[in-house]
Amino acid sequence: MEPGAYQFEPHTSEVQIRLEGSSLPELFEEAGYALAEVMLGEELPETPPDVDQEYITLEAADTEALLVDWLNELISRADMRKCVYTHLVVDDLAGGKLRARIRGYTPSVLKTAVKAATFHGLEIREHEDRFTATVVLDV
Amino acid sequence: MEPTIEVQSRLTPLLRQIGPGLYELDPSFREDMRVPARIVADEELLRQMSRDRSLIQLVNVTTLPGIQGFAIGMPDMHEGYGFPVGGVAGTLLPDGAISPGGIGFDINCGVRLLSTGLHHEAVKEAVPALAHDLARSIPTGFGRHGRLALSPEQLDRVLDEGVPYVVRVLGLGTGEDLTRIEAGGHLPGADAGKVTVRARERGHDQLGTLGGGNHFIELQRVERIYDTEAAAAFGLFEGQLTILIHTGSRGLGHQVCTDSVREMDRALAREGLRLVDRQLACAPFSSPEGQDYYAAMCAAANFAWSNRQVLTHRVREVFSRRLGPQAEAWPRIIYDVAHNIAKVETYGGQSLCIHRKGATRAFGPGNPELPEAYQQVGQPVFIPGSMGTASFVLAGRSESQAVSFSSACHGAGRQMSRATAKHQVVGAELRKALNAQGIVVECPSNAELAEEAPTAYKDVDRVVDAVDTAGIARKVARLVPLAVLKG
Repeated sequence: MEPGAYQFEPHTSEVQIRLEGSSLPELFEEAGYALAEVMLGEELPETPPDVDQEYITLEAADTEALLVDWLNELISRADMRKCVYTHLVVDDLAGGKLRARIRGYTPSVLKTAVKAATFHGLEIREHEDRFTATVVLDV
Repeated sequence: MEPTIEVQSRLTPLLRQIGPGLYELDPSFREDMRVPARIVADEELLRQMSRDRSLIQLVNVTTLPGIQGFAIGMPDMHEGYGFPVGGVAGTLLPDGAISPGGIGFDINCGVRLLSTGLHHEAVKEAVPALAHDLARSIPTGFGRHGRLALSPEQLDRVLDEGVPYVVRVLGLGTGEDLTRIEAGGHLPGADAGKVTVRARERGHDQLGTLGGGNHFIELQRVERIYDTEAAAAFGLFEGQLTILIHTGSRGLGHQVCTDSVREMDRALAREGLRLVDRQLACAPFSSPEGQDYYAAMCAAANFAWSNRQVLTHRVREVFSRRLGPQAEAWPRIIYDVAHNIAKVETYGGQSLCIHRKGATRAFGPGNPELPEAYQQVGQPVFIPGSMGTASFVLAGRSESQAVSFSSACHGAGRQMSRATAKHQVVGAELRKALNAQGIVVECPSNAELAEEAPTAYKDVDRVVDAVDTAGIARKVARLVPLAVLKG
């Protein structure tokens, strides 16, 4: 799998995603895109929706917790605002803190309602030229 | 490397059969096990369990601080995240652990069965219109039409008071309804103040919605009665039109679990403790984190029962509209059971926190929590099958106390991933196949339909037989679908 990508792996009842990114911000963006694809059930639109950006600021004890918090923030905002976030930019990610900008839209059909991101089996690994992680979503 | 559990027709010494339909894995299997892992299953179901990580996840449950007796895997057990789905654990109060992962994100996901006085043959022409009207009455996905939006004050009261508030103040039900719901639809340990602003923002307009995944409303007919005494007590007869509702606490409950796992994870980090899986995050029941979670969980449970109450009201509105005001057409609640919840219950004179994740309470006859009408026969237990297959009504037996902390399974249990199901099953063809069986399907997404195909689930007849064989609950009736409505 090339950096800057995600793929879905088998899991009996939930959705398991394998992520790769050439940087941590890219890894986090890929996680968000994978989440959006699960929710929409199809590839994401290329063009950003014509809406105002929303800003996210998060802080967690470690990078794994920050990834779970990031995905859960996208999930809970989707539920509240009734939209799927398809355009994500992680501007800053260091020392357990994240700043990002996101945009989304309300699809005509929500394919999968995601309950939450879990810590199950989550470990972010740094390799020579990339970061990888596997995360399980409760659907 | 993680030890493996070998399940073959000749059982390994550490996994042995201890009774009809009951197996136990000895704690010497792994050093950190505090109690045995008990499994309710037949040999075939045990073999199926060995194909995913559910048995090892059940072993992880046995490490919960304060766990008593045994961790239990139900015959529909399958791999979850941290804890398996289809598991039960009791921890000793006041200081035994409470773990949000041992209950699940969908707090008080559960099942409610409604009965009518109608024979399905008398109304079969009306079934498609009933299903269609229901689909229009219940918001799905992100749809905004028809939502019941609560004010902050109303939401507080739903969280604190549950179904009694929905019935007595919002006027969406009857006094009799309250006697036919587990815990009367209200856990007194709830504290709306422990539910975060984010959880409230998600949940304020979600009462009366199904949600996606395997949630549904089904119109059914009673195909067969196994126990005439219990069926009569429950108000069931052969050929009867019934309605089954399966849903939970929606985004509010999911957020409560998310918030609590985060808080407990932080608390464990402060103590310098590291778990084999962080999703197993837990805290002593008596600790601030444990008490905060329990209070929020009770509030979310009250929200879920209220959700099923509002959906019942919608069903009653549709039936009245389509079938007229005749008494036989008015749906009555047989019972409502939770299958993702923590309850404080007494066993052997000890107060335990019973975690049920994909497991249903199954009290036997004589339990004071049961309504008068069910005292002689035991608590109704509902086991929905997968879409298009049978569901079962059972009655709890007194033996369930000793066998499984008064717990039965909750459904058929998945045996195939969603991705595999989507590859193997074409949603549109499944819809046609169900229609050909005479089952009306109301579901907006063919892909979602494929993921919930019957082949993705275990054999519900087998799962229910395992519960019966183990002495936990006895079969009362078999129900088959006439129409399925998915969220």
